[in-house]
Amino acid sequence: MNIIKVSSFDQGAGYRELVLQHGSPLLVLDVQRAREQYYALQQALPGVDLYYAVKSFPHPALLSLLADMGAGFDLATSGEIDLVRDLRVTARRTIHTHPIKRDQDIRDALRFGCTTFVVDNTDELLKFLPYKHRVGLLIRLSFRSQAAIVDLSKKFGCTVDDAADTIALAARIGVHIKGLSFHVGSQCSNAQQQVKAIETCNTLIRRCCGADTAPLNILDIGGGFPVAYDNRPVDIDGYCAPIRDALAALPKHVSVIAEPGRFISGPAMTCIATVIGKAVRSGLRWYYLDEGVYSAFSGQIFDHVRYPLEIFSDDERRVRGVLAGPTCDSIDLVAEDVPLPELQLGDLVVGHMMGAYTAATATQFNSLPKTKIVVVNSAAAVVLGIPAGKLRLRNR
Amino acid sequence: MHEFSETLYDGYGQQFRVDELLYEVKTGHQHLIIFRNAAFGRVLVLDGIVQTTEKDEFIYHEMLTHVPILAHGHAKRVLIVGGGDGGMLREVTRHQQVTHITQVEIDQQVIDMCRRYLPNHSRGAFDDPRVTIVINDGLKYVRHTQDRFDVIISDSTDPIGPGQALFQEDFYAACKRCLAPGGILVTQNGVPFMLLDEIETTARRLSRVFDDWHFYSAAVPTYIGGIMTFGWGTDDKALRHTDIHILKERFAAAEIKTGYYTPEIHNASFALPRYILEAIGK
Repeated sequence: MNIIKVSSFDQGAGYRELVLQHGSPLLVLDVQRAREQYYALQQALPGVDLYYAVKSFPHPALLSLLADMGAGFDLATSGEIDLVRDLRVTARRTIHTHPIKRDQDIRDALRFGCTTFVVDNTDELLKFLPYKHRVGLLIRLSFRSQAAIVDLSKKFGCTVDDAADTIALAARIGVHIKGLSFHVGSQCSNAQQQVKAIETCNTLIRRCCGADTAPLNILDIGGGFPVAYDNRPVDIDGYCAPIRDALAALPKHVSVIAEPGRFISGPAMTCIATVIGKAVRSGLRWYYLDEGVYSAFSGQIFDHVRYPLEIFSDDERRVRGVLAGPTCDSIDLVAEDVPLPELQLGDLVVGHMMGAYTAATATQFNSLPKTKIVVVNSAAAVVLGIPAGKLRLRNR
Repeated sequence: MHEFSETLYDGYGQQFRVDELLYEVKTGHQHLIIFRNAAFGRVLVLDGIVQTTEKDEFIYHEMLTHVPILAHGHAKRVLIVGGGDGGMLREVTRHQQVTHITQVEIDQQVIDMCRRYLPNHSRGAFDDPRVTIVINDGLKYVRHTQDRFDVIISDSTDPIGPGQALFQEDFYAACKRCLAPGGILVTQNGVPFMLLDEIETTARRLSRVFDDWHFYSAAVPTYIGGIMTFGWGTDDKALRHTDIHILKERFAAAEIKTGYYTPEIHNASFALPRYILEAIGK
């Protein structure tokens, strides 16, 4: 269920100004917010190299900011490679993490200069035979997670025993396995799953230390770092404390990397939608918005997230109602049966925390155009006429 | 950008200080950079991999040009496939006996840019009246041309990049089709110490096409990781064993000043280390 906050009408002035200037619906990307998130995670995981998961929100302004801050990039497709190449990101700071690849995907990545890949089975390993002198591979392990909202260990990853077999085969055919990776899933409620995964990897790394093969010297702990969709602040430092302890037990030769996506992009974007229609159906107030689940709210379907919403009204009464999206499909509902003040045509509904897996997974169903994205609080935003710091868009 | 790190290998690489970035462009799917470096002069990088530098290009271009032309002895018609930087063309035009030179390059932009930013590679060779430039896919050209050549030089990128087709058996067979009797194909074939299976594959493919095939070598500093090899394919088995006195006579007659090539180097370059001989099954 979406958390709905009703603020005073006056507090919506900044959003109304943006809609006047840029139209509605509108996505507002606050790159300063992304910078703070990146910095917070860096502080919480000292010594861990962060590779931003481009898939979560591949916006050039965000990628540029992160590149300038020294971030690496977690890429999964040739399209994502093209994005970072356009920004002149050095390929040495990228890893290709899709466990299943076509030959052309491998060649595209190598041509770009990315030489780190991920495999989770021997068929995938054999695809690297023609390129064995150029690449270093990570083996992705699977750790099923009860705590994660999206369990990524179901579709990808192998068991520890399978990993040992793959490492042995790689040694026989001369493909370099340089480390292990795992991804416990997204939006983990606690770090216990990550800690267990790190401990298991530690055991496997130590077991491989004495072998004839090159030592496993990279551990990729994936992403899954949580953000708050319920307005409660996330203590990322506290969340990472047990991870730090588990990492401290790794052998000294192991470098640790992580692939945060949502944690960086999620809080950095706000969606502004406008009420474009009203009806009363079966006793419920229906408000039709110009933005819905086929567009920026697509994360409510694919990503299983309910975004916190904010409405600006001085009306004290609450009536149960529905916020519906603009398409013809009946699944296109943003919030059902929620207490709402009386809304008028033209009123705004603002969605917070809408940076990750929103615009990235939006469709153009009904031939509706993609929602415009404006960037604020960056050097480029000043050029667009939006002074840095003028807008207070944070939902705190 | 203050440093350029080559991304050819995951665990090993060379790094250059970028003293001045001269040019950067994306043409289609290629990302091309030219910069100046104190040790190597102007450096051309394609998709993160060093293609040529002013300081050491002479080794590569002399060995791919003078070895086949002087071994052949009376080459009149020469085909260059690739080689957009013009270095190969410069070396071929030095042979006065050569009357026709055709260069097939896939990308006009590479030629234009190299004439402007790497002028020392071509040194005016593109304006030589014996030269015909064809903008076309190299494989398509050798498949369809009615011309015949005494020497074909394949100056390609590495096989992961756009040069992929120029390492296939199709290409070698099509080259043989447009070689005149006694003609020679030579190819860029990478650094076998680092990429041993590349030379294994090329050896297999050349052996299926030519009566006589082999490799010869040179050490080019910026093609890191040991000696680089050049493929050799012809139906005239004697050419590879051309007598040193004949080579000396031909070299003297050509009146070419070289920085790397000598007739002695020519002969010696066909001697290969054991690890390469084993890889190519000889």
